Amino acid sequence: MKKLIPLLFLGLAAVGLMLLLNACNGDKADSGPSPQTGTGGSMARFAIAENTLYIVSKQSLEVYDINDGGNPTKAVTKNLGVGIETIFPYQKHLFIGAADGMYIYNNTTPNAPELMSKYTHVLSCDPVVVQGRYAYVTLRAGVNCRAGGLFSSLDVVDIGDPTKPQMVNSQRMDSPYGLGVSGNKLFVCEGDKGFRVMDITDPKVPVQKHFFQEVPSYDVIVGNNQLIITGKEGLYQYKYDDSDSIEYLSKIPVL
Amino acid sequence: MKRTLLASCLALLMLSCYHRESEPFVGDVKFDGTGYRPVYKNPEDVSKVEVQAAQSLRTPGKIYTFDRYLFINELGKGIHIIDNTDPKKPENLSFVSILGNYDIAVKDNWLYADSFSNLLVIDIADPKAPKVTKSIPNVIPVHNYPPLFGVYFECVDDKKGIVVDWEKVDMEKQPKCYR
Repeated sequence: MKKLIPLLFLGLAAVGLMLLLNACNGDKADSGPSPQTGTGGSMARFAIAENTLYIVSKQSLEVYDINDGGNPTKAVTKNLGVGIETIFPYQKHLFIGAADGMYIYNNTTPNAPELMSKYTHVLSCDPVVVQGRYAYVTLRAGVNCRAGGLFSSLDVVDIGDPTKPQMVNSQRMDSPYGLGVSGNKLFVCEGDKGFRVMDITDPKVPVQKHFFQEVPSYDVIVGNNQLIITGKEGLYQYKYDDSDSIEYLSKIPVL
Repeated sequence: MKRTLLASCLALLMLSCYHRESEPFVGDVKFDGTGYRPVYKNPEDVSKVEVQAAQSLRTPGKIYTFDRYLFINELGKGIHIIDNTDPKKPENLSFVSILGNYDIAVKDNWLYADSFSNLLVIDIADPKAPKVTKSIPNVIPVHNYPPLFGVYFECVDDKKGIVVDWEKVDMEKQPKCYR
């Protein structure tokens, strides 16, 4: 675990810039005043926005009203008809990762989401996270994800205009599963291959800073400079800061 | 000469027909003597939710944080509830045994969890003693096939119960279902 405290000293200018960026992203949009909800990872099929519970099944988006928390009532079903993998609510939108692309729903009326656009890609498994005007999508090739994709990648999609999502960057990955984004950091779970820490000071161009091959990872939750990583060997927790150092906190091992 | 040619052609044709009949070829993958068989359970056994003492992680799945708590899914088995007040010393509080569970979400004191096609509502006002208050059936459409492509499997018979798993077994005959 000592390996996990490598330091990468950046120039003062870069640090300054990061602090600035972090300051802008410091407040989380989802900690609203009324209902208290938690945070899931990017692989989630359940998501809560305000008083609505979204469940993605293999083929559809199921919407439940949970104003009365103990008594969910069905609001609507939206059929998508393709292999749906994940759902990620961000501000007034829902980002749905499906086998053939990323679907963007307008969520202004939470109980009646409306399809705005679709970013199509090769057939693969693909969770998505969003920050600001960029969505980060990992595409994993492999048998259980349909054998369509030849290789795995991390795509950056400009969603400045959610009706016209556009890919601005794509780079090769090994076997990406979940991912997380916060401030100037992007974290990518590479399954058995490990865990990547990427710098997104330029949000269009993720640059790898660390690749912890001894941490098998499936999904990650990022918040308050803290990482919670789940993987086949257990649950890991780390603390990170703007100087790119990562501190090991604990592990709940698989026994 | 012509007749021999015709006869042999006919014979060849018949041979190819015969061949096809002996080995029905359903999908694009040839049957190799193995297939997937559904593992059934009684609906009553499936719906049993139990709060148990803390258990160690075996095959952890998705994670969810709420307040100072951390919920870790145990693939298809249930939820570990962890007190994460001190992330350096997370404390494993309890395990909620829910068959067919892979996903979780929390609002206020309510934990929502899937159990096969059902949606469970669990009161976690006291996270050490969670209580199921509601089970809504048929929320999540479930498909009666193994989570794989290019495989042969025994077709599901709903009368036998709920399919909780798929096992790969040797099969003498090619099963009717393919995906």
